[in-house]
Amino acid sequence: MPVAFPSLAFFEALQRELRGERERFSRLGFFDTTFGIRVHPPGGGPPAEFTLTFEVFDCVRVAEGLANVSTDFVVEGGFTAWREMLDAIHELGAADTAHSLNTLTHFGEALQVRYDDPDGHDKMYRFAESIQEFLDLSARFDFVYPDGARPPARREQLRRSGT
Amino acid sequence: MSYLSTTDFTDDRTFVDRFRRTMQGDLELSWMDEPRERVRCRPQNERRGLTFRDLDVGGYGFTEMPELIRQNRSFAPRGAAQPPGLPDLQAEVNRKSEVWAYNIEGYYEEAMTRQWNATTDIPWAELQETELPEDIGKAYAQLLTFLTEVEMIATDVPAKWMGRLNADFFEVKNFIATQAMDEARHAEVFRKRALSTGWGLMRASAHNEFNLKFLRDADTFAEASLSLHLQAEGMVLTLFRFSEYISPTEGDKKLFRLVMQDEARHVGYGMQHLKWVLDHFPEKREMIHHHLDEAENFVFGAGYATEVLEPFIILSGKGMKKEQIAEGVRITMAFQMKQTEEYFERLAKCGLPERRERSRLWKMFEQQKQQMGQLSPS
Repeated sequence: MPVAFPSLAFFEALQRELRGERERFSRLGFFDTTFGIRVHPPGGGPPAEFTLTFEVFDCVRVAEGLANVSTDFVVEGGFTAWREMLDAIHELGAADTAHSLNTLTHFGEALQVRYDDPDGHDKMYRFAESIQEFLDLSARFDFVYPDGARPPARREQLRRSGT
Repeated sequence: MSYLSTTDFTDDRTFVDRFRRTMQGDLELSWMDEPRERVRCRPQNERRGLTFRDLDVGGYGFTEMPELIRQNRSFAPRGAAQPPGLPDLQAEVNRKSEVWAYNIEGYYEEAMTRQWNATTDIPWAELQETELPEDIGKAYAQLLTFLTEVEMIATDVPAKWMGRLNADFFEVKNFIATQAMDEARHAEVFRKRALSTGWGLMRASAHNEFNLKFLRDADTFAEASLSLHLQAEGMVLTLFRFSEYISPTEGDKKLFRLVMQDEARHVGYGMQHLKWVLDHFPEKREMIHHHLDEAENFVFGAGYATEVLEPFIILSGKGMKKEQIAEGVRITMAFQMKQTEEYFERLAKCGLPERRERSRLWKMFEQQKQQMGQLSPS
């Protein structure tokens, strides 16, 4: 049964995948940050918002909403940009050159990073590889978009040995 | 040998007799009766292991450490009994606010767990399969040459200061040891990548090296940290993110993500150190501004030098055709604006919001922003 994107179930699935990869994420090191995800729907209306909390080597909490939550940064963007990123990951097993989180957010063209404290913002880069590999775990499970479409089927062997 | 022992121990009767008696089983044991603060530190979070924060207790800890270290002039570990006769090692930095940072112990633990290996963590075989066009390959090799130069000095600076800090600043010494290792690994990975592009190392940069010499020759650790951790590494962090953005392959993107993690941690230390200085030694504010005046002059000369700037333009425009150069200039200007904006944003957050008004670099930035018109960084 595919989970929906965006939804809490989608991020819970990522959390489960991460927990199955403890050794790999332990090798990447301590991963201590709380950040938000905001997905603006294509036709306007209220965005879907999620909070992800990481501690030590684990994703300890995923929750819906960003109100009254202290985050280091929030990654936000239109549904189309998120979908394009997830499609690339699902098809290739990991983000390609055009769809890494840093590339998509760098000039804020596709996704934007919001923050109050530059120290919190820099955590996006202190944990860059962990965050990227966390998002790349979405290549492992089936999900469905609100219009009923699914991401493209895998085109080649998974790129990263762990995925 | 410039340092000679004041005693020739093999000729010292008392010492030799004591040694013989000990080896015959006649133990002296005075060290065992030293009145000590007994502790049994345990991990507060078992998943994290036993951290420096768990050791922050009583006289062993760092919270109670005074601003001026007058007692320990030796290698005695903080909290150990100091018998008479320990040598004065003449540490140059004995003031806590010269080196300390909020969460220094956390940065150290993070650094230790996030170490990586330039030989085995980069997909070198995959990178070998990608043939870069000549203009892109040469521009990338020039960028890697510049970065190797930068990272070599970034290794030397923390290594230079490590032995000059009072032994009581244990956590800081350990943190900058990890930094020296990080920077050495960066120099290694950039050199390896340059020599695997098919082009090798390109041209060293005189402008860049004057800036690096300025970093290396700072008069105090606080000045060195300000220009290295906060200014240079802050700007290099944005540069690494930009380099990830313009990287020609996924392997290169991974390389830049790994180096940016280390760099961001060093910037984190720099920010928390500057906050600490301004909170605990506010008299330094004016000196900091004077140091930044010169540091910004150097960084402008280095960062905007031809051999540094042109590879960015070619890489971000993805070639050397007229329209590609125009696109490359547009993207590179946006990068420079982002880099400068983030640098001043960090200074403001640390407690130097007035820096913008005092800085010639900021004025340059404002002029550039006007030129850029509508395109502004996120």
